Amino acid sequence: MKKILIVEDDRAICEELKILLETAGYTADVLEDFEHSEAEILDSKADLVLLDINIPGLNGEMLLQRIRKKVEIPVIMVTSRTSEVDEVLSMSYGADDYITKPYNPTILLLRIAVVLKRTDQTLREEEEQYCGLCVNSARGVLSGENTEIVLTKNEMIIFQTLLHKRGQIVSRDELMTNLWDNHEFINDNALTVNISRLRGKLAKAGFPDAIETKKKQGYLLL
Amino acid sequence: MAACWLILMSGLLMLFQVNRSLRMILAISFCTMLVIGFLWDIIRKKRFYDEMEYNLSHIDQKYLVQEMISAPPFYEGTLFWQAMYECNKSMCEAVNDYKVSVEDFKNYVEMWVHEVKLPISSLELMLHNGEGISSAKYREQLRRLDQYTDQVLYYVRSGHTENDFLLQKIDLQKVIIKTALKYREDLLLHQIDFKMEHIGQTVMTDGKWLEFILGQIVWNSIKYQSETDSYICFFTEEDEQKVILNIYDNGIGIPESDQKHVFKKSFTGENGRKYAKSTGMGLYIVKKLCDNLGHRVEIQSEQGKYTNVRILFAKNDHFFREGTS
Repeated sequence: MKKILIVEDDRAICEELKILLETAGYTADVLEDFEHSEAEILDSKADLVLLDINIPGLNGEMLLQRIRKKVEIPVIMVTSRTSEVDEVLSMSYGADDYITKPYNPTILLLRIAVVLKRTDQTLREEEEQYCGLCVNSARGVLSGENTEIVLTKNEMIIFQTLLHKRGQIVSRDELMTNLWDNHEFINDNALTVNISRLRGKLAKAGFPDAIETKKKQGYLLL
Repeated sequence: MAACWLILMSGLLMLFQVNRSLRMILAISFCTMLVIGFLWDIIRKKRFYDEMEYNLSHIDQKYLVQEMISAPPFYEGTLFWQAMYECNKSMCEAVNDYKVSVEDFKNYVEMWVHEVKLPISSLELMLHNGEGISSAKYREQLRRLDQYTDQVLYYVRSGHTENDFLLQKIDLQKVIIKTALKYREDLLLHQIDFKMEHIGQTVMTDGKWLEFILGQIVWNSIKYQSETDSYICFFTEEDEQKVILNIYDNGIGIPESDQKHVFKKSFTGENGRKYAKSTGMGLYIVKKLCDNLGHRVEIQSEQGKYTNVRILFAKNDHFFREGTS
């Protein structure tokens, strides 16, 4: 379970962020001591830090620089300041990503996942597996000993999103965001159609109930 | 002056060989005239400077001092007077510019507050009406609120004295995707198809400003969409001097008579009045931001058929210096 440290001075946002992250399957901690923020961040052993630039009395960018000197921990700058100058500065001081408030929670989670994947040693380049099938996203196929399932780009994106969160419910919102992020600007109907086609293909290959629908919540890959 | 007369008279005297005592009398008279002349000059200069000093120390609006005293009668005074007048005039004009811009801002804020209260009221009503309202509807109102906060921020940034933008090489496609993701829910809610042709160009611009600009244009397309089969399409054209980003929608379009005026302040025009959804500031701010960044923005439209907004990014410095509208 990945641990995320929240460095943010607005209490309401802290609480909601904590809930959001924990629901998404992370452990979330909130920084309490702004006087000794650097020490607390280094001690926390978090896998990722969400750092707000604008905390009064604390220079977010300076803090980032100091942390970067000591440790490679991934940091996403989260802020209401929307200028290009701030973003460039943050990135040059070593932030892994920069996101402005109010952020769409689904997009925030997507960005966190991307940064964690980038920095995680263990998940690198391994071919993903599903019930004996090899997932080859470049070719768009799930291949096994006797079977080969050919998926369209959309179906593959949906399948991989479900696979990465196997056993957890993935909302339609999350699937849509992922698809749009990959330049596939489909609408609600198209999503439904894609999912049933995916189901159909999996069923034909011997996995009839692979994707479960959770009413009003989303889908689940078993 | 007096010296000239003195020389002239000496010359004449010598010429006419007038008798000695007359010469003495004339010489003394001229010396006296000279002294009186100097004294008089000093007195009138002192009078002027005293008057000026007095008035300066007694009035608060010191730039009005020239109205309070009369123009100096001596030559150097006139030079000084003229210079003072010109300095004051140019400063007053500069101050007036600021006054006008503050007035404008006040008007904008009034209008803005009125607009921003709309989604707030909607939310209050929704919460009151309680269960059964989908969260999508709440989120729509929240996005509207966020839109307005962005708008006021960029209104301030578009002022001609503001220069806090950073020009960098920006991947157009990335900015468009960000915009698409931001408006995804609104587009889907209004059943508008989002299309983007493959766009490989990078341009020199401020990424955040461009995101806002594209957002405003998309927002307009949503407001003025066609009744059925609505879509919005992003595509580019390119030549040696420029890259042109086109944002095309098949919405209700803009009447010919209004097309020349869409970038003006508080312009609402036919569509706004008919459809009652506009503060008229969106495109004004877009134009100002583009002006600051050195991009040209154009709009093409046919009422009832389409609207195409074109943003022209120059590839080199000189292109848009000529013929900037």
